[in-house]
Amino acid sequence: MTFDYHEPRTLAEALALLDRYGEDAHLMAGGTATVLLMRQGLLRPGHVIALRAIDELGGIAHTPDGGLRIGAMATHRAVERSADAFAYSPALTDAFGSVATVRIRNQATVGGNLAHADPAQDPPPMLSALNATVSVRSSRGGRSLPIEELAVDHFTTSLAHGEIITEVILPPIEPGTRETYLKFLPRTADDYATVSVAATLRFAPGGTIAETRIVLGAVGPTPIRARRVEDALRGQPVSRARDAVDLVRDEIDPIDDLRGSAAYKREMARIWTGRALAQVTR
Amino acid sequence: MPGPAGYDRAVTGVVERSASILDQPEYRVEGSAKVTGAARYAADVAMPGMLHAAYVTSPYPHARIGSVDVSAARKLPGVRAVLTGADTKPGRLGRRLQDWPILCWDRVLFIGDRVAAIAADTARVAEEAARLVEVEYEELPSILDTDAALAAGVPVLHPDAATYVFLGGTRAERPHPNVQGHAVHVHGDVEAGFRASHKVYEHSFSVPRTHQAYIEPRATLVWLDGETVRVVTTNKAPFALRQHMSVALGIPEERIVVDAGYIGGDFGGKGLSIDEFVLYYLARATGRPVRALTRYADDLQATNTRHAATITLRTGVDAEGRILAHTSRVVFDGGAYAAGKPVMTLMPGDAMLTLAGYRVPAARVEATTVYTNQVPAGHARAPGQPQNAFAAESHIDLIARDLGIDPLEFRERNIVRHGDVDVTGQPWHGTDGPAMLARLRTASSYGPSLARPRQVNWWGWGVALGVRHVGRGRAAMVLRKLASGRVELRTGVSDQGGGAHTLFQRIIAAELGIPPGRVAVSRGTTDAVLSDPGVGGSRVTPVQGSAALDAARMLKAKLAELGRTIDDAGEMEVTGEAAQETHEASMYAYVLRLTVDRETGSLKINDATLVADVGTVINPVALRGQLEGGFIFGLGQAVMEELRVEDGRVVTANLGDYKLPTIADAPPLRIELITDHPGPGPFGAKSVGELANPAVGAAVANAVQDACGARVMSLPVTAEKIWAELRKGSA
Repeated sequence: MTFDYHEPRTLAEALALLDRYGEDAHLMAGGTATVLLMRQGLLRPGHVIALRAIDELGGIAHTPDGGLRIGAMATHRAVERSADAFAYSPALTDAFGSVATVRIRNQATVGGNLAHADPAQDPPPMLSALNATVSVRSSRGGRSLPIEELAVDHFTTSLAHGEIITEVILPPIEPGTRETYLKFLPRTADDYATVSVAATLRFAPGGTIAETRIVLGAVGPTPIRARRVEDALRGQPVSRARDAVDLVRDEIDPIDDLRGSAAYKREMARIWTGRALAQVTR
Repeated sequence: MPGPAGYDRAVTGVVERSASILDQPEYRVEGSAKVTGAARYAADVAMPGMLHAAYVTSPYPHARIGSVDVSAARKLPGVRAVLTGADTKPGRLGRRLQDWPILCWDRVLFIGDRVAAIAADTARVAEEAARLVEVEYEELPSILDTDAALAAGVPVLHPDAATYVFLGGTRAERPHPNVQGHAVHVHGDVEAGFRASHKVYEHSFSVPRTHQAYIEPRATLVWLDGETVRVVTTNKAPFALRQHMSVALGIPEERIVVDAGYIGGDFGGKGLSIDEFVLYYLARATGRPVRALTRYADDLQATNTRHAATITLRTGVDAEGRILAHTSRVVFDGGAYAAGKPVMTLMPGDAMLTLAGYRVPAARVEATTVYTNQVPAGHARAPGQPQNAFAAESHIDLIARDLGIDPLEFRERNIVRHGDVDVTGQPWHGTDGPAMLARLRTASSYGPSLARPRQVNWWGWGVALGVRHVGRGRAAMVLRKLASGRVELRTGVSDQGGGAHTLFQRIIAAELGIPPGRVAVSRGTTDAVLSDPGVGGSRVTPVQGSAALDAARMLKAKLAELGRTIDDAGEMEVTGEAAQETHEASMYAYVLRLTVDRETGSLKINDATLVADVGTVINPVALRGQLEGGFIFGLGQAVMEELRVEDGRVVTANLGDYKLPTIADAPPLRIELITDHPGPGPFGAKSVGELANPAVGAAVANAVQDACGARVMSLPVTAEKIWAELRKGSA
């Protein structure tokens, strides 16, 4: 396969190239997904626009309000090892550290992961449970959207052609919030999850659950937020968690594949949601 | 303990004289070349003017080929040749039975079967041309499992079998035209044994296809050099390949030169080659060198996998749990062609070795390999054994538990002792089984199973044992004494990663009493060295290693005759030969401890102990690597590996879906070596390459039952299968 390779130095240059080559152009961040898709012949771009030389897309740092900004070109490994990310939420660094192997994590980027929209990936459920927003730029301007609105189907996002993810913004975490990321790997340590669960939870002063967000990976076409479970838990004591967890089975849409049958995944979603809640209510 | 007659002389004295070298950890002779990237693998070889091959393959498991239109492909700029089955007909390839068409001309028998081949200036153009070839197929009913293949009135997949070449003998009679190979063994009075039994048990097991999962995909380069056909290949048995090509292509062996250098992993899979034959036709058609580099997906979908199998075992025991009689029926799915199997029976090498390692006074063992419209099956590390060992060692455990006898104790009562008849009907003279199990019991701290509280995570013991023959065959190599006080061994063995060249170096150094650094080992092409049987069948240490030792002894004798030392003698040359024809077997056994999560069925292996009878150790680092690697290889097949096929199509077509264990999956493994029972190899060595992998699946399944009561009767032992069994139990 042949293609023209572009390596712009600024975001403006990258956006101009995207506009110039239109549908014939494909962005490449770390390349861990793009190169595989190209080798399999599933992607045949005439122009590959690499984002690696654009400094403004990097960086991981606290925001002034106590949140966290992750540049789109930050690698998984950089997030995993970032002191700021760990101080923000150890569950976040856990989720990034759960991806594949260290070789992959050294190459794969946060923005590339989100744009790839693989529903079995580890970071998106955790970012969603932490209520992240994604900043996007095009030559016409910028916008930001809740991360839940980014992935719309298997390997499909709501991004328009000409848009580039520039950063992920995580809001400050309310005091008293607990977070966890659990990944069920029954075959080998190096695999996609059979099911994964990211959860955040905060108690009200009276001991009831004030707020919780629960997001599952690998059990539907996108990460799935278990809203019915969340609704059943809000304002309730922890003792209600067991019943609420059962609701997750009807919120997900798993498929039979090499990592388990749909029936097994449905049951595992219940088990692992329960385990995640046990961790954040302990 | 005395070894078999004839070996004592080889063992005594020599080991003591050479102990200092053999006890040192070895440096691999090829290590620096591999680490620095200087090692040249087949895919690294390029020739001026070289063309690149691509294939047109069948999308159907079984179809009649109508028309093949290559006109558009021929017109594509850069395409130099397009061949179809009409150009290679009736050429077929194979290691024993040549039943695999070089290119298909009338029917295709599996998804991936080749219909046309292209040589072009670049691989991209060749692939583009392959897409332009239009093939009309008439789909035929496909046979996707062995039961269907053996039914009455089914299509015969190889109606012209009588015309196929069978190398080195006559093909045995077959009970059904869709059978590849079939054999029955009987000894003792089986019916009387069952009548005398206190209890009779029957269990059925199934094992899926798996892949050898070497890291280097196959690569082949062929060109014509005048009258000579030159071949660069990843095949691990270059002389055998030369013979197969000679027969299939009608070219005298001496006009074929095979160059098999470094091989990037084998695990039994690199004995079959399929590209060399068609590349010869492409090279002849174009007058240019032609190379085929397969992608990993091609290796997973269209070479020789490990056979899937269904195995039914029936065993009668007396009231004390002693085995009195045994029958087994083993049916292997051989896929579309038997070409990958080198043995006379056209079955995996140890197809008949059910219930290995036990005293079996009477047995009837029947094994069959069957043609289906699936990816062809061939040899993989310890062929036939992982299937049989999973079944047998699960069966033994089930019997022990039903009788209320501890599974290790049951094995202690039944393990074969010297002079006992085992399942092969032969008196046992290998490893001292009771001593091995005693060692295992102590080293693993095996204890009685505890009462089982129904908590989420609970652990269990799993025991399994196995038997593997020491390799047999003949080999020869030349040892040259150089003027500088150095020697050079010239061998036809291609090192596929097992450490063969280092082994030869150390054997010669030990025998001559010189530092290993003064022994060079050079590997030659088939026109430059003596004929060699290749790597496989646990052969290299006992057979080729013995030839290297013989060469060193010949040189020593010659020096003594001349009254010279290695330092003051001139150049000379000797030929070492070895014929290792004795049947010798070694045993291994493991105990592992694992924990099962009762809610999810997932398991974690906490630790494992392996006891292996290895004889004299020559390469201590490589030996440990073979045992550890073998165990982890077995672990992969135990808990995760399955070449999943749906409607004849391999759906695990990459290593992201076909999962292999990583080091993070490997449990702590304690290894205990038995070295005091010498084998027929150099200095009393045995074979270890296929000693540790076969029975891990059974050990895992046995430990799972011990931990949580769930019994999984098929490999791999997955979390979902355990979960499903636990649900059945609680329903």
